Amino acid sequence: MSSRAHARGRGSFELARGIWATWWYTVSAVLLFELFFVTAWAGAWGTSEGEFDVDPLALAVGALWFGGTAWVLLAYRRREDQGPLLPRRDIPGLLVCAAAAVAMPALTGSWLAGAAFLLQPVVILNWPRGVRLRVVIAVTAALVAIAVIERAQTPVELHSPVWAIGMIFSIALPTASVTSLWWWDVLLAFDRARGVESRLAATQERLRVATDVHDLQGHHLQVIALQLELAEKLMGRDPDAALEQIRAARVSVAEATQGTRELATRFRTVSLADEIANARDLLQAAGISATAEAPDDVDAAPADVLGPVIRETTTNVLRHGGGRRARLALESGVDGWRYEIVNDRAGGQDGTDGSGLEGIARRVAEAGGSLDVRREPHEFAVVVRVPEEGER
Amino acid sequence: MIRVLLADDEAMIRSALAALLRLEEDIDVVAECADGTEAIARALELEPDVCVLDLEMPGADGVDVAAQLSRRIASRFVVVTRHARPGVLRRALSSGVAGFLPKSRGADEVAQVVRKVAAGGRYVDPEIAADALTDVRCPLTPRELDVLRVGRRGETTGQIARTLSLAPGTVRNHVSVVLGKLGVETRQQAVLIAEEKGWI
Repeated sequence: MSSRAHARGRGSFELARGIWATWWYTVSAVLLFELFFVTAWAGAWGTSEGEFDVDPLALAVGALWFGGTAWVLLAYRRREDQGPLLPRRDIPGLLVCAAAAVAMPALTGSWLAGAAFLLQPVVILNWPRGVRLRVVIAVTAALVAIAVIERAQTPVELHSPVWAIGMIFSIALPTASVTSLWWWDVLLAFDRARGVESRLAATQERLRVATDVHDLQGHHLQVIALQLELAEKLMGRDPDAALEQIRAARVSVAEATQGTRELATRFRTVSLADEIANARDLLQAAGISATAEAPDDVDAAPADVLGPVIRETTTNVLRHGGGRRARLALESGVDGWRYEIVNDRAGGQDGTDGSGLEGIARRVAEAGGSLDVRREPHEFAVVVRVPEEGER
Repeated sequence: MIRVLLADDEAMIRSALAALLRLEEDIDVVAECADGTEAIARALELEPDVCVLDLEMPGADGVDVAAQLSRRIASRFVVVTRHARPGVLRRALSSGVAGFLPKSRGADEVAQVVRKVAAGGRYVDPEIAADALTDVRCPLTPRELDVLRVGRRGETTGQIARTLSLAPGTVRNHVSVVLGKLGVETRQQAVLIAEEKGWI
């Protein structure tokens, strides 16, 4: 449906809808990682005996923090490259995260937990391109340093595998989140590039058409200018030759008009079904009671032959005023396609109705078909038979 | 003698065509008008045999002029155009226009069409007919077109619903189907497309 082509941006809208699935996949990957991180720290407290014993309070604070980061993370979807580092809508989420981070060292006994809880939402802020990488490296280095110091200060008997898990999650979390978001950014960039590419193609096509029009018009205008100049010079000496040049100039104008029209309509294609329906509508609009029949597989018919035939015969019926009814029928049989148009010739025979029929006959004959014209006092019928595409 | 009224807002073309038509022995140009409103006034006053109307004119376009006049006087109408927008031929034929041809045709051809139309015939230029036949079909139902037509001046959903005696929800459904079919975001864009294509 070419009317869709009018709707600019529709394609990108639909693709964007497909891309949202990837967005949710990215977000849930980050959130899942955070979930492990929170439970690791909530379980890390009181693990001196090496048991995995979840502290409900730490888990509750962790859940709050989880909500806060999710808030910031979801806002990331609407980020703009030139947007502020800290959009206003991120602030509530960040405050929740900061409060949780302050509470964490007290609840878990680990400064590393506090640092990780504080820094994770920071890395997913709207950092400019390139800066984010440095931020992540700095954050990860800081977390590694804190982890090393904390481990060195902790008595060996308090080292537990659960604390080690918390430590690994803390150090890996910023990098993992940012990698996921980087992947999302890349995908978005590809999507935008695709949109830009199709707009570029459309622009190039317009430019090409403009160039074609310019070349065509330029050529004809030059010819016409020369012909007129010649006519001007000849006017006094040889009026007949001058007249000849003026006639030639008129022919050039007609050629230029025709050429421009062909340029404008060269991409225009319409299905035979639509063409027949249009023909019926036009005849009805002209006050002729018209019917049209076409089989369901009408689009399998040779449109290159039948399209011009339908156009020419319908125009003939339209031009011939005074008709009351017309019938168009296209049907497929064993030996190919048969198109028939019948109308009552109330207007009488003025001999001009066969105009264009010679052209049709030639075209149909080239396709291996035949044309029959039936003239009766109250009926005029044109029947065209065309073999199937493959049999030509 | 065929008495002809000529209406075209492009003065050069109008006067050239008038001069050329006056050279024909059986044609007399009785009025030259620069816009649709003037054409209506002069035609009512003079009752010419044939009105040759430009399609693109300020005031009222050629088809509008023909539609308004055909109910009041016995003139025949020929519409000329530089670029026939889709759907315009259908509108012209149902408004009682008897002749339709592109502006690129020479004055001798215009004269022939004027004669044919004055004699009660109808003439549709093959080029314009071909354009009309290769139009994209309107994908909207009559009801959906009603909704666009009633709402074309930016009327609210409620106003459209009252005018068409429909429930507001039904109007909203029609609108969303229309937006989907035409692939546009707003009702205003849909109205623009429908107007451009001559559907409403």
